Amino acid sequence: MNKLSSLSDAVASIPSGSHVALSGFSITRCVMAFAREVIRQGIRNLTVSQCVGAMDTDLLVGGGAVERLIYGGGSLDRFGRLACVNAGIESGSLRAEEYSSLSIAFRYLAGSLGIPFIPIKSLSGSDLLSRLQEQAGSDVAFVADPFSGERWLTLTPLLPDVAVVQVQTCDEEGNAWIMGPKWDSPEQVKASTRTIVIAEHVVPTEMIRREPERCVVPNLLVSHVVELPFGAHPTSLYREYDYDADEIRNYVEATRKQDSWKAYLDRYVYGVKDHWEYLDLVGGLRRLRTLRADPILGY
Amino acid sequence: MEFTASELMAVAGARELKDRQVVAVGIGLPIVASFLAKKTHAPGMTILFELGVIDPEPVHTGVGLADPRIWHRAKALSSFVDILGTVLHRGRVDVGFLGGLEADQFGNLNTTLVGDPKGKFRHMVGSGGANDIASCAKTTILIMRQEERKFRETISFVTSPGFVNGGDSRQRTGLRGGPSRVITDKAIYGFHPETKKMMLISIHPGNTQQDVTSTLGFQPVIPSHVPFTEPPTAEQLHLIREVIDPERMYMG
Repeated sequence: MNKLSSLSDAVASIPSGSHVALSGFSITRCVMAFAREVIRQGIRNLTVSQCVGAMDTDLLVGGGAVERLIYGGGSLDRFGRLACVNAGIESGSLRAEEYSSLSIAFRYLAGSLGIPFIPIKSLSGSDLLSRLQEQAGSDVAFVADPFSGERWLTLTPLLPDVAVVQVQTCDEEGNAWIMGPKWDSPEQVKASTRTIVIAEHVVPTEMIRREPERCVVPNLLVSHVVELPFGAHPTSLYREYDYDADEIRNYVEATRKQDSWKAYLDRYVYGVKDHWEYLDLVGGLRRLRTLRADPILGY
Repeated sequence: MEFTASELMAVAGARELKDRQVVAVGIGLPIVASFLAKKTHAPGMTILFELGVIDPEPVHTGVGLADPRIWHRAKALSSFVDILGTVLHRGRVDVGFLGGLEADQFGNLNTTLVGDPKGKFRHMVGSGGANDIASCAKTTILIMRQEERKFRETISFVTSPGFVNGGDSRQRTGLRGGPSRVITDKAIYGFHPETKKMMLISIHPGNTQQDVTSTLGFQPVIPSHVPFTEPPTAEQLHLIREVIDPERMYMG
């Protein structure tokens, strides 16, 4: 089945108030074009989840699309902190439930398996746990192991309405390859009701069949396939393109003040009609080709 | 040979690692310490990055775990559930490196916020894999600069537990392991076997006991004899400066 879709149609399939899981990790494989389109379409009150908070989430929060964030902490690596997420937490405008990387991954894993809860050794003895007990008591609970009697912390599954995953390659049915480390993507897509795949390349299914061991997202999970060059820009996509350090620095600078942040949104999000105009705005092919990954190094 | 405090911290971290150990590493000084150990006395060590990277051999320095430069030539690329789950949570990580904004005398660490969590605060980075490593690794090594505002009697938030309230409180919380060393730019500490309070082990050359205690917000256990930390060798300094971190990305 051909699931090729425009970015705007794929985004329009997400109602305000949905729970969306995003594939970004800090400044790599972030669904940036998706985040810009969500803000342009005025979708709001989203719940966003992600193991390690990334630039896609930060932009969505800064663009006013997010009500609730379920994550394991995060940053923009050396470039800075998640300024929009942090500002939302500090002012109380963002309801953030903060875990660790593994506890979010285990919550997706439980969701992907269809089991009611998952025991974990993490979080005990920390203020992360005491916060979660005060904040969202229903998602963390201690139980006795029915076999040994040992006391275990357990977490509820995460069951997002839709996973949005940036990949290098997929076919028109949505069978997708992810190159490089996969962090929480495999469990994220399997825990979600459906998945939107954003791919740098869409290839014939015959290509997928030739190297089936590479397939991380089988098409049965996928509702939309969007082919989009540089869809993760200014973050990186391993083996395709490097992160754009100048544009990440522009973003970080813009988040420092309210008026510069508004100007950033006006220029990079609202000021462009679609992803193609965005790519022209950041320098078009002439500049983007300088980010193309070295085929040996992958960056 | 002249050396900086950061170089001595990296070397001290490397000395704690043994051949064939499995080590969970974050960006910064722990990367230098781990690659230094692997290139010298611990060639059979396994280096893990939480997002799914096993035994990389980078040829360029990176801005963080998300930089593909540091995944280069990995033996396996997998996922959180693989590294933090089937390796760390399963109990196969011997040593985890941790750093933080604040630590207390029991080795509890804060990377979440500064200020009053119920009032005015600044939110920082949060856990990532740090809480998982602190909870599940057989031992952890804390590497951070020593200033009074960083080593405090009470920290704003416990992101990653050390020995919790000291004594056997960590075990009573259901956690095994715990921190084994704290490496700062002034000294190296262990933990007292019963009280689990930070205990001075060695002082870096050029510092006095006064320099050490005046930059802690609490009184560490001080044994009657405290030696100086062994300085780095010429080979270790060469590897750090020319091979591992030629652009001084991690050493500052």
